[in-house]
Amino acid sequence: MTSARPAGGVRSLGASLLDDVLAETLDPAYAQAAAARAARGEQRAPSRWGGQVLVALVMVVAGLLIAVTYDQAAAKAQGRQEVRAALVRDIQARSELGDELAGQLDELRVEVSRTSDDLLAATTEGQRALDALARAEQGTAALAVTGPGLLITLANAEAEADDDPVGGTSEADPRGRVQDGDLQLVVNALWAAGAEAISINGQRLGPTSAIRFAGEAVLVDFRPVTNPYEVRAIGDPDALAREFLLDAEVQSLAAVSLNFGLRFDFAKEEELSLPAAGSPELRSAELLDTRRAAGTDPTPGG
Amino acid sequence: MIPILGLAAGVLLGLVFDPTVPLWLQPYLPIAVVAALDAVFGGFRARLDGIFDAKVFVISFVSNVVVAALIVFLGDQLGVGAQLSTAVVVVLGIRIFGNAAAIRRHVFRA
Repeated sequence: MTSARPAGGVRSLGASLLDDVLAETLDPAYAQAAAARAARGEQRAPSRWGGQVLVALVMVVAGLLIAVTYDQAAAKAQGRQEVRAALVRDIQARSELGDELAGQLDELRVEVSRTSDDLLAATTEGQRALDALARAEQGTAALAVTGPGLLITLANAEAEADDDPVGGTSEADPRGRVQDGDLQLVVNALWAAGAEAISINGQRLGPTSAIRFAGEAVLVDFRPVTNPYEVRAIGDPDALAREFLLDAEVQSLAAVSLNFGLRFDFAKEEELSLPAAGSPELRSAELLDTRRAAGTDPTPGG
Repeated sequence: MIPILGLAAGVLLGLVFDPTVPLWLQPYLPIAVVAALDAVFGGFRARLDGIFDAKVFVISFVSNVVVAALIVFLGDQLGVGAQLSTAVVVVLGIRIFGNAAAIRRHVFRA
């Protein structure tokens, strides 16, 4: 209100607002009070005790406000760190517990299978069941296997050296990445070529395994596998390689990978060892007609 | 002298007793502090200008703090809390800066 305006020219409202903000740093009320005092003929503000105490009190409040706010900000930063540390501890403890339980599960599973083997081996009927079970386990990838086979490596195209990582297209060409379909194609071709067992990056494929895309990652059985993808297949290496390379889809994949710089290698291996797939879920069970003993009743769930 | 002692006493009290602030009030503390700083700097400058007035100082302090917090509260209700906080901080920051410059001119005659 009392600020001096530069003379001349029409000033816009915005400019005058900015002028006010920049020029009027002191509360105009002080000047008004001084003017009122001058009009009343007083020289200075009377230094009453009440006013002094009030000012001191307000300053105490201001100091309190500053200290409390500082405390709060500091506590917040510290609290965040504490929470993070606690979460990390929690995660570690939980994953340790999970590992321990998985170990226990493995032990118990071994015990169960040994006990059932022992029981079944006693009778001829049991022996037959045992053989069937062994075949079934082979088929469901429940056992770890070793043997000769093929090692196929698929990898994303390397980023070109003259690619600008900052500007330009930040997204890599999706065609330069291995897709879930490529892996599915390779795996299917391997099955068709007579592979007995297949794993991707150490993840054994069972009959119900799925290979999918989730965002950027390829999921095998809902567990992410990352570039480069190593597909191991057990079977007669020569026959496998022959059949695999004759597959029309594999040939087109090879052409595509040549075009877009994907890595697509394969090698015959003397000795491959594939782990067992994750524990199979019990999905269905049926009563045996021959023995309706209480012990063989299927229990729901499992 | 007394006001400066008061400020120091307030800081000490806050640090020693560490009072807990209700949760709903916490978001408005920083903006209230900036408003308080503006009032304190304004009062100091007015004192140096020789026009200090206790009544004006107290009223400007209280209204500054309350209005700043209210503006931010209103902004929060309208969904523009962050922007309004920025606006308040910019305006008060300019005023604090201007007052600090005036105080500097008084103290150092430069």
